[in-house]
Parts: sequence; C-alpha cells; structure tokens
Amino acid sequence: MSALLSQRWARVAIGLVVPALFLGWWQAQATGGASALAFAPLDSIAATFVELAGNGSLLADMLATLSRSLSGLLVGGTLGIAIGVAMAVWRPLDRVLGPALQAIRQVPMIGWLPLVGLWFGTGQGAELIVVCLSAFFPVLLSTYEGVAHVERRYLEVGRIYGFTPLQRFRLILFPAAMPLILTGMTQGLAFAWIASIATEIVMGAGSGLGVTMQLAQTQQRMDVILVAIIVTAAIGFAINHLFLRLRRHLLRWQAAPL
Amino acid sequence: MTLEARNRPVPHGVPSGLGALSVSDLNKNFVIGGAPRPVLENINLTVKPGEFVSIVGASGCGKSTLLRLIVGLDADYSGDIRLDGERVATTSLDRGIVFQDHRLFPWMTLEQNIELALLNTDTPKARRAQIVAEHIALVNLQGFEKAYPHQLSGGMAQRAAIARALVTEPKVLLLDEPLGALDALTRVHVQNELQRIWMAQRSTMLMVTHDVEEALYLGDRVVVMAPNPGRIRRIVEVDLPHPRDRAAPLLHRLKDEILAELTAAPAAPANLVRLPGREER
Amino acid sequence: MASAALSIPPSVGTGNGRPLLSALLAPVGLIALWQVACLSGVFPSQVLVPPSDVARALWSLAESGDLQRHVGESMFRLGVGFVIGSVAGLVFGATIALSRLAEAALAPFFLALWQVPVIAFVPMLVIFLGIDERFKIVIVALAAFFPVALATFDGVRGVPKRWFEVARVYRTRLPDLVWRILLPAALPAVLTGLRVALTRAWIVLVAAELLAADSGIGQMMEMGRQMFRIDVVLAGVVVSGVIGFALDAAAKAVERRATRWRRA
Repeated sequence: MSALLSQRWARVAIGLVVPALFLGWWQAQATGGASALAFAPLDSIAATFVELAGNGSLLADMLATLSRSLSGLLVGGTLGIAIGVAMAVWRPLDRVLGPALQAIRQVPMIGWLPLVGLWFGTGQGAELIVVCLSAFFPVLLSTYEGVAHVERRYLEVGRIYGFTPLQRFRLILFPAAMPLILTGMTQGLAFAWIASIATEIVMGAGSGLGVTMQLAQTQQRMDVILVAIIVTAAIGFAINHLFLRLRRHLLRWQAAPL
Repeated sequence: MTLEARNRPVPHGVPSGLGALSVSDLNKNFVIGGAPRPVLENINLTVKPGEFVSIVGASGCGKSTLLRLIVGLDADYSGDIRLDGERVATTSLDRGIVFQDHRLFPWMTLEQNIELALLNTDTPKARRAQIVAEHIALVNLQGFEKAYPHQLSGGMAQRAAIARALVTEPKVLLLDEPLGALDALTRVHVQNELQRIWMAQRSTMLMVTHDVEEALYLGDRVVVMAPNPGRIRRIVEVDLPHPRDRAAPLLHRLKDEILAELTAAPAAPANLVRLPGREER
Repeated sequence: MASAALSIPPSVGTGNGRPLLSALLAPVGLIALWQVACLSGVFPSQVLVPPSDVARALWSLAESGDLQRHVGESMFRLGVGFVIGSVAGLVFGATIALSRLAEAALAPFFLALWQVPVIAFVPMLVIFLGIDERFKIVIVALAAFFPVALATFDGVRGVPKRWFEVARVYRTRLPDLVWRILLPAALPAVLTGLRVALTRAWIVLVAAELLAADSGIGQMMEMGRQMFRIDVVLAGVVVSGVIGFALDAAAKAVERRATRWRRA
C-alpha cells in the first residue's frame, strides 16, 4: 500500500475520489433529490460562472473584496506596526494602552459592527473600519513580541558601535523583529480577508463577494452562491501563496525557510 | 607561518603608542537574592600598548565580567579602569570586542556587517568600502562579501567578527573566549590567523580563554585567575619570540604548571553523599 | 486563507505579571475616564453613552430575563455546535494522521474547503437549513471542525517516531500505546486547537446571530442597532467580550493544567 501511495499519480488519483463522489452526490440531489430546489445542478453552476465572468460582475466583486481586505491590511497593519513598536520601546505607553487594547480584543471583531454601524452608518465605511480592526490586532501583537524580544546580544553590539536610537531601530530592532512582524501580517491578511467577507455578508453594502452571496441567498440562487464560494477559496489560496513567497524573499537571510 | 603571511601589508595605518590599559583596585558585586556576591576582587592589571595579554581561569572567576566592564557594557563597579589615562564609563569605538558567539547580524551580508562598525566614525563614506574590503582580505574571507552569516561556517563567522572589531582601529581589542565555540581543528587555524593579524597590526589585545595552551601560544603574558570571588592568582611572563612555535618546551612547562594550579583538587564538599559500593552489598 | 497560523501569545499590557490589583487599575481607570468624558457632554448621546447607561441597560435586560435568555441561547448553540465540531475534528484529524490512505483520499478535499472562510458558508446554509437552531449549530460545528482537525493531525503526526520505537522495544500493547504514548504526546497540540476552535466558534456564532436569528447576543446587538439603542448595543459588546474572555481564559487554564509535564 505504501509503495502505491509513494507514487505521485496514485496520490492524485485517490485524492480525486472523494471530490468526484461529492460532485456525483450533489448532482443527484440537484436533479431529483428531496430538496432539489436548494441544490443547483452542476451545469447551472458552470453556466452562472460563465455569465458572471462575462458581464464583469464577478471581477467587480473580486476587486471590491480584495481592495477592502488590502486597504484594511495596509491601514490596520501600519497602525499595528507603529503602535506595536512604540509600545515595545516605551514601556509606559505599553502600560497605558495595553489593557485598553486587550479589552477591545476580547470582543469578537464582528461584534463591533453594530456599534460601528451606529457611528458611521451602514455603508462601506463601517465595513472598512471593522476590516482594519481585524488586521490591526495580529500585527500589533506580533510586532510587540518581535520588538520586545530582540536579543540583547545584538543590542549590545549596537551599543559597542555607538548606535543612535534611530540606527538601533533601523538596523537592529526592525530587521530582528521582521520574522514575527511578517507572521503577524500574514495573520492580519487572513483576518482582513475573512472580515471583508463577513462584513459584506452582514452589512451588504457596496459590492463584493460576500454581498453577492448574501443577495443570492435572498433570491435563493444557490448557483451564484457556489460560484462566489469557489472564487473566494481560489483567491484566498492565491493570496496566501503569494504572501508566502514575499515572506521567503524578505527573510532570505534566515537559515531555514520559515 | 609562511613568509608571505608575515610580510602581508598592514591596512591603513598601525596604532602606535596608544592603547595603554590600566585596571586598579577593581571590585564588582552581583546582587543575588538580595545579598551582594563578590564577582571580582581587587583586580589590578596593566596592559602595555601593543601587548597581547591572555586571561585564563575556571568558570566563575569573572573573566567575562571583567571584559564587559572594560568594554563599557557594564558601568557598575568600584575601582578604576583607564585607557590611556582616561576613565572608562561607557562603550566607545576605542575599545572593540569579539564575543564567543560571533554576533554578526543575521539579516545583513558579511560586507554590511563589517561596514556598520564604521557608521559612527568620521571615516569618509567614499573610503568605507575600501576599508571593509581590506579587512575582509585581512581575515582571508575574500569572495564571501555578499554571504549571509548562516552561510558561513563557525570559523569564518568568527573571523568576520574579528574583522568587524578591527575595522574601527580600536586602541584595545578585547576577545571573550573567541574560539570557544569552534571545533578543535578550526580553533588551531583561527589561532594562527589571530597571531598573524596581531603581529601585523600590533594593536593591544586582551583575550579571555579557558584553553591554557591557547593563552600561552598567543599571549605575551598570561593572567591566571582564581574563582569565587574572581581574583588574580598570578601573572606569567611568556618570554618567547613571535611567531610562536607550538612545540616549544617552555610553552609546555608553563602549561603544566598553570594547569596544575587551576585543577588543584579542592577538599571534598561536606555534603557529599557516600553510596554503598557493590562490594559492600 | 482561513488557514492562518494559530494565535500568538499576547503579552501586551500584562506588564510582566504584575499583581492583580495594579493590573485592574488601568481598566478601572479607563472606565472612570469614559464615565467622566460622557458626563461632561463631550460626546453626543448618539455616539457614546456613559458606562452607567450601559450598566442600567444590562440591569434592565437582566431583570426582564431577556439577558439570561439571550446568553442562554447563545451558550447552548455554542456548546452543542462546539462539541459536535470538535469530536468530528478529532476523529477526522486522527484518522488522516494515522492512515496514509485516508490522508491521500480525504486531505485534498479538506484543504480545499479550508480555504473558504467559515462565514462564507452562511448564505449557503441559510438556503439549506433556514435560520433556525439547526443552522446555527451547524455553522458553529463547522467553525470548530477545521482548527481541531488540523491540530489533531499535527499532534498525532508530530509524535516523535522514536517514542513508538521505544514502545516496540518494550512490547507495549495497543491500548497502552494509545493511552500512554499517543494521547499525552498529541494532547498539547490538540488542546491548543480546541482553544482556537472555541474562540473561532464564538466569533462565528455572534456573526451568524447578527445576520439571521431571533435570539442570542448577536441578535440582541443587531436589534439594539436597528432601534438606535446604543446602550443596548454597548451592553451586547460588553457581554460578548466578557464571554469571549472567559472562554479563552478557561481554555487556557485547562491547557496549562493538562500539559504540566511539558513545562517541567
């Protein structure tokens, strides 16, 4: 058995069995099962995909969700790095801000949506703020950990060569903390992506994959939902992969790929 | 030692007449559990400019602490440490140090690591690249300028650390067990390199090591320290010309003497547990 | 994308383990500041209400029994869904860790589904199941399933082969092998996975309740928003935060206790 499994083609073939069975089951349900109306036949899913891709709405949704996530990561991430560094370098700030941030963090991010909605209306502004918040915390925490735990022996080298505080930050603290900062950014990106979809589903403002899913649900259009889900998975996978490549490049000085 | 190595040109000037280190009545305590524990007691030491002084001793005799005080990483002591008459209060480019762990920044290439030492000197930017190149050549690491530390072997990284320490032309170079992390073969090789560099530059060097043979091979004088608290037992003159011959009988005689002193069997501790031997069963 | 790394321990604001009193000082101070700021009229009442109003809203909700009802419903859904999802995740993770065939057959499909944020399944599940209890329990179970399955896989796979070899040398019987070697070795990873799953499940539940429910903390907050009752919304925020904190703290305590041998 293990000899068979060591062959790549065998593993691929076996891996396709379950998905194939699932698709078969799905198609059976869609064309004659008890709740056939809920399921959508595979060909209609394909047709809907072609339709949405053709009329540009799929692309518009993809771009909307992507830009929301990336903006959220940019703003939330930058803030997270800035405040994380500040709190790690100036302990008094840590003592003042820390408890407040910990308290805010306990509330499920999505739970802030009604409050933000009351403050900023139910438009895209509210969605973006929650996305920024979602990206903010992982970046803040990892940046703080990274900077606060820079090895003392490297800081001593900085002292020996008379580094100014700016040099210490630029040449020691920031690069040494980079692995953890990037870990935080990766998690922040994931959270921003999830938060985009979540806020789109809940608030339904503007366009985006989540908005489309939610709308399709009210219209009982399972085929649209499935197209959106598949696209979501594909994009999520792609961004993750790209980010990993970026990380490997930025951390090429490390001994083992992390 | 090849003729060629002995005649290798000296990079950008030799420090001369500078680098006189004097340590007088140095005492240091660590506070452990509220009570002060003496770590260094009545250390008196003078190092002449251009001299190579080795310090040997068992663990716990405060050798590394002494170096940290001299380099200025620690300012909490009583007594006097002076370089060329000036009191030592904090770190300075006048005093360089090589640690046991090379402490090259992993995120910088070899070149960048060495160049950062020149950041806060008044060396003109244009000259820096050249000085860095000269020192890479000095430690025989040509070709590895763009390598990251994880790509270098232990011996190479340590040589790079030596180059980084020398590039600022410090008056005194301190070495804290610089070869301790290297395997025996590499150690011999780097010892030779160190001797060659010192002979070429004649900068004042103060090296801590637990290897008595190494201390005698490299040093003009060997300071033998005793632990608990750290104090100087005696200072041994090594009156042999450089480059040294490892087989010299004087070296071996001195080594045996010092080792005998260092490993003199202490009295058995009072709380030693006596287990019944097999014969007694 | 939903497969982001498990959480990083937050030491932010902990001040290196200061005594409890000084740790509470900052939050209490912040609440006091909040109260004063509101009373001074800096914030219009549509934006922020003082903690006293929030407390009053909590009190009246508790008095009428509404608060207990909402919390109870949420906790029920969380509990049932979490148990179902975790058990499924444990079984699945252990299976694909122990059987190469199972891994080859099941892992690809699993990993493909893992790329979809659980929340994205909500519209689909609403069509299938409506917005009743079943839907919420299923979504919670889904949210718990993935992290637990992955953690169990890591935990079981990560048992060093050496330990199995030692067991073979001592001719350990299968039940002992599972109970004395496999389980303790895999336990730390599994417990961490369970803790992450609990947190995720809570977040997903609140989101699902915001969206489609007639009771529960999330729904309480959404209703507060629709009726412009900012004190109710804030009350919901406080309650969901406290519950989230309590769940996380409890899970961490269990984790610490069960892995005492590790840190020794």
